[in-house]
Amino acid sequence: MRAILRFLKESTFVRETGITLLSISLAFGVGCIILWAGGYSIPAVFANLWKGAFGDKLAIGQTLTKATPIILTSLSFLLAFRCGLFNIGAEGQMYIGAIATAVVAAQLHLPAVLHVIVSLAAGGLAGAFWGWIPGYLKAKRGVNEFVTTMMLSYVAIGLTDYLVAPRGPLHDPKYMANQTARVDFTAMLPRIMKPTQVSWAIVVAVVAVILVWYYLFRTPSGYELRAVGQSPTAAEYGGVRVRRKMILALSLAGLLAGLAGAGEVLGTHFRFVDGFSPGYGWDGIAGGLIARAHPVGAIFAALLMGALRAGGMQVQRSGAAPGDIAAVLQGLVIFFIIAPTLVRMLIRWRRRRSG
Amino acid sequence: MTWEALGDIFTIHLVLATLRLATPIALIALGETFSERVGIINVGVEGTAVLGGLVSALVAFYTGSPWIALIAAVLAGGLAGGLHALWCIRFRANHVVSGIGINILVAGLALFITSAVWGWRGTSSYSDTLNSWYIVGAMFFLIAASQVFIFRTKWGLRLRVVGEKPEAADTAGIPVHRTRYIYTIVNGMLCGLAGAFFFNNVGRFTTGMVGGRGFIGIAAMVIGNYSPVGALGAALMFGFIDALQMRLQTYIPSQFSIMLPYLITVLVLAFLIKRAQVPAALGQHYVKQ
Amino acid sequence: MSEFAVELKGIVKRFPGVVANNGIDFSLMRGETHGLLGENGAGKTVLMSVLYGLYYPDGGQIVINGTPHRHYRPARAIGLGIGMVHQHFMLVPRLTVAENIMLGQEPTKSGVLLDREQAIRKIEAFAEQYGLPVDPRARVEQLPVGEQQRVEIIKALYRGADTLILDEPTAVLTEQEVESLCEALEKLKSEGKSTVLITHKLREAITMCDRITVLRKGEVIGTVPAKETSERQLAEMMVGRDVVFTVKRGEATAEEKATVMAVEDVRACDDRGLEALRGIDLELRSHEILGIAGVQGNGQAELAEALTGLRPTTGGRIRVGEHVLTGRGARDYIEAGIAHIPSDRHLRGLVMEFSLRENSILGRNREARFSPGPFWQRQRVMTRFTREIIDAFGVKTPSTATQAKNLSGGNQQRLIIGREVTKDPCVIVAAQPTRGLDVGGIEYVREQLLKMRDLGAAVLLISMDLDEVLMVSDRIAVIYAGQIVAVKDPDETDRHELGQLMLSGSLSTDARKEESA
Repeated sequence: MRAILRFLKESTFVRETGITLLSISLAFGVGCIILWAGGYSIPAVFANLWKGAFGDKLAIGQTLTKATPIILTSLSFLLAFRCGLFNIGAEGQMYIGAIATAVVAAQLHLPAVLHVIVSLAAGGLAGAFWGWIPGYLKAKRGVNEFVTTMMLSYVAIGLTDYLVAPRGPLHDPKYMANQTARVDFTAMLPRIMKPTQVSWAIVVAVVAVILVWYYLFRTPSGYELRAVGQSPTAAEYGGVRVRRKMILALSLAGLLAGLAGAGEVLGTHFRFVDGFSPGYGWDGIAGGLIARAHPVGAIFAALLMGALRAGGMQVQRSGAAPGDIAAVLQGLVIFFIIAPTLVRMLIRWRRRRSG
Repeated sequence: MTWEALGDIFTIHLVLATLRLATPIALIALGETFSERVGIINVGVEGTAVLGGLVSALVAFYTGSPWIALIAAVLAGGLAGGLHALWCIRFRANHVVSGIGINILVAGLALFITSAVWGWRGTSSYSDTLNSWYIVGAMFFLIAASQVFIFRTKWGLRLRVVGEKPEAADTAGIPVHRTRYIYTIVNGMLCGLAGAFFFNNVGRFTTGMVGGRGFIGIAAMVIGNYSPVGALGAALMFGFIDALQMRLQTYIPSQFSIMLPYLITVLVLAFLIKRAQVPAALGQHYVKQ
Repeated sequence: MSEFAVELKGIVKRFPGVVANNGIDFSLMRGETHGLLGENGAGKTVLMSVLYGLYYPDGGQIVINGTPHRHYRPARAIGLGIGMVHQHFMLVPRLTVAENIMLGQEPTKSGVLLDREQAIRKIEAFAEQYGLPVDPRARVEQLPVGEQQRVEIIKALYRGADTLILDEPTAVLTEQEVESLCEALEKLKSEGKSTVLITHKLREAITMCDRITVLRKGEVIGTVPAKETSERQLAEMMVGRDVVFTVKRGEATAEEKATVMAVEDVRACDDRGLEALRGIDLELRSHEILGIAGVQGNGQAELAEALTGLRPTTGGRIRVGEHVLTGRGARDYIEAGIAHIPSDRHLRGLVMEFSLRENSILGRNREARFSPGPFWQRQRVMTRFTREIIDAFGVKTPSTATQAKNLSGGNQQRLIIGREVTKDPCVIVAAQPTRGLDVGGIEYVREQLLKMRDLGAAVLLISMDLDEVLMVSDRIAVIYAGQIVAVKDPDETDRHELGQLMLSGSLSTDARKEESA
């Protein structure tokens, strides 16, 4: 028994997870204060949050559907972060990936499985290109990638908007809305949990988590990428081509975000719809932070955020409070998680009071 | 594009629009200059500006006075700046990550509060405003005063040393942490003012109001080489492009012209920037003995 | 007025894991120059930092000018007349001398605007009075090291220091500059200032000080007048045992000293774009240690980087066997069999956040043994390999998963050496390998280098410690202003000659001196 306790106290994994859970609790605590200040019923809000996220099969389906692209965008942010880079442009990379996927999926005609793979690849490659641009600029000209990825995000959203607007080249003439033609049946990702919208896209996301984990921790390239993130000078000393790694990191980050867009097109909407993302790219940044930059953590972070989003919708429907309390909670969770010293201080303070 | 069209575009209105569009960018760039000159990176300027706009709308709504709203916005911005400083200095958060956190938090709060107070998700009601040209004037004054302050007064010298080599400041008896807190709060206040400007321009708060101009402000600071006057120059350039693109919308698809400022930012940073004079201790946590 | 400018009684200062000062008594008489002598880590700088207010002591009393003081910060110390010139200058490179000096005490016009002219006049007056010439308008980054040090001293005087603490002032000076410093110290003494000189150099302590206090491992061993002691006695006090002044270098087998690395007319620039290497010619031979002697700042750092692919060259050729390595990156140098023990462990040698396991393959992670293909890394092989290094090279650590940053400096260096040495390299570039280590660590490193030499490697030893270079090298090359100005056999030269070469690039000044005498 004592051995188990000792293991628990010394294991970094347990400690880090504990800190994460504590941060989440603190965030929810502050959220409660805000709700109380606004005169809302805290039990009602939380009951509806739970109901909307996990209450029944449909709710769980909502949570999972929303979590799926966030897994990928979180991976996108955290992969770049592991290389010491900030990919803020996942939203735009996702749009670029989505539209490329929609085009390939609608215009090409291939047998089923092959068509899916090719369409996903198209989305990934398009996103990778959108990530390569800021990567190249950073490596060759030292341009701050935070600003460039963010700016290119706006460019991407505007560009795709133009392409699918009524007079745009990719617009589907059958409808008024800004969207492309429906993708081929052969390119669609089958639904898993009928009658919810959960599709094979979530499988793609989980496979991506495994691949990213393996890449970062079990391949020489991933090792070098992490070394660059921790100490570019030591990495250079170790023979790593630092600039190439930076380009690779941002390209891979773009690829992952592009896949997120591809998944949404092939699994949820079956076409590119303008504004299809309620901010999954930005959520990816939050997700990567909550996941403490660990690929497996991305799944839990995405589930948390998917749950908050789904739950928030239910809160809105129930009228217990504005549904955006979910967004507030999300923001608070991030804010507490990013200050490692804060939580450690609190633990020590509580220990001192009791001990 | 005909000569007539050019004559339509390049008018005095373009100049006025340039000034108005440049103002918030200049304010934010100025604020970030102060903050980075003492070594604190603050990418939360975007969220702080949004907060400034939100608080302006809120306070204007409840008090009916745009001037009180303005003061409230500045104070709220200062609070956000102080929070960021606290996170970075006391809790040793990664500066960029903390700034991101502020942006996300404010985004969520904005949606929540607009829903709660006005019932519309993401917008407020209209309120009385003050003439936003006052703020434009204030901006020019602040830029000039800051330029003198940073490069010709003793406090300016001290703040520069804190950002270049905090150990040197410490051994000279200058309080490093306190200096960083102060100027990050100043940063926040300027961003709050920028947010108030957005509000007073339009008459209400909308979540898309700031639209990435916080980040453009950071880019302007870099292009302006960490000086107030440089920041103003870069901000004017962006303001000009922004004003121009609005007038071009009748000639080219609107999506492209909206994209223009962002695209130009990338191009300028990519091709026109040589290694700027970044404060040497930027982004590093300073540990006192 | 008390005869003591400063009295420290029973000072205790603890840091996690170590007691840096363990009940130290130290007194500085008014107008004297008092040397504080000890090895790296003996606690000298910590003690003076306590006096200057950078640290609060955990115990003991501080008496300044007869009055006790406690819990004060440098601002207060300055007010009490204590000034400190640190080993690593506290100057802001991008600002001017005047701006650096007036920091914290800026003269102003009408209370708001800086009055630069007034500060400049005051600085020039000090420079004149104490014989410390500086240019107040120059930017610090443009000044040579000796002048920067003068700026630091004037900075202290400008704030009204009566007591000066100089921390390892001669570490970065040429011998000429040391002489100027001595003169300045005489001037200061004649003006009534008291000085504490922190150093680990025996010769200087004796020549420059009135009294010397020796510290060892945080405790005072003794205080002696300089005139009544000797280098040998001081060394014994510092180290606690009879110090062997020569390490058995031994003769490497004269057979097969083949040229392993040829460096021809290599040129390179430093980080500021100025030419740091101006035509280096060197030959590294197997079974031989080639020592590079020189005053810091003459291109040694750039040389180490150029020969390991970490700095691009602007001219010349570097060859190892038939491979031409000019213009290649670090990876090619590593693959050509060149190992590098870097001068900065934190920046280059280790990824501090990584575990020892992951650090042990830094630079080697693409070797077939560790990763047979681009798609996997053999975790167990890595762990086993790390264990081997830990055991063979005596790295003290709880496990292979410990993060590098949690190891002591000496153990970090052992890991690095183990990693580099087990590559079985044909060339080892060792840059300041004994810096910051204690006596045991220093001896260990030197032994390892000699061992590698005996096994056939060509060792390039770059060191600021002239005694170390003399002790360990088979040949000595002197670097001056980015060029190799002489290559000598250590048995046929001495400190004096080498010193001459190191600070003037040639021996002709000797002749001129003799003529004018």
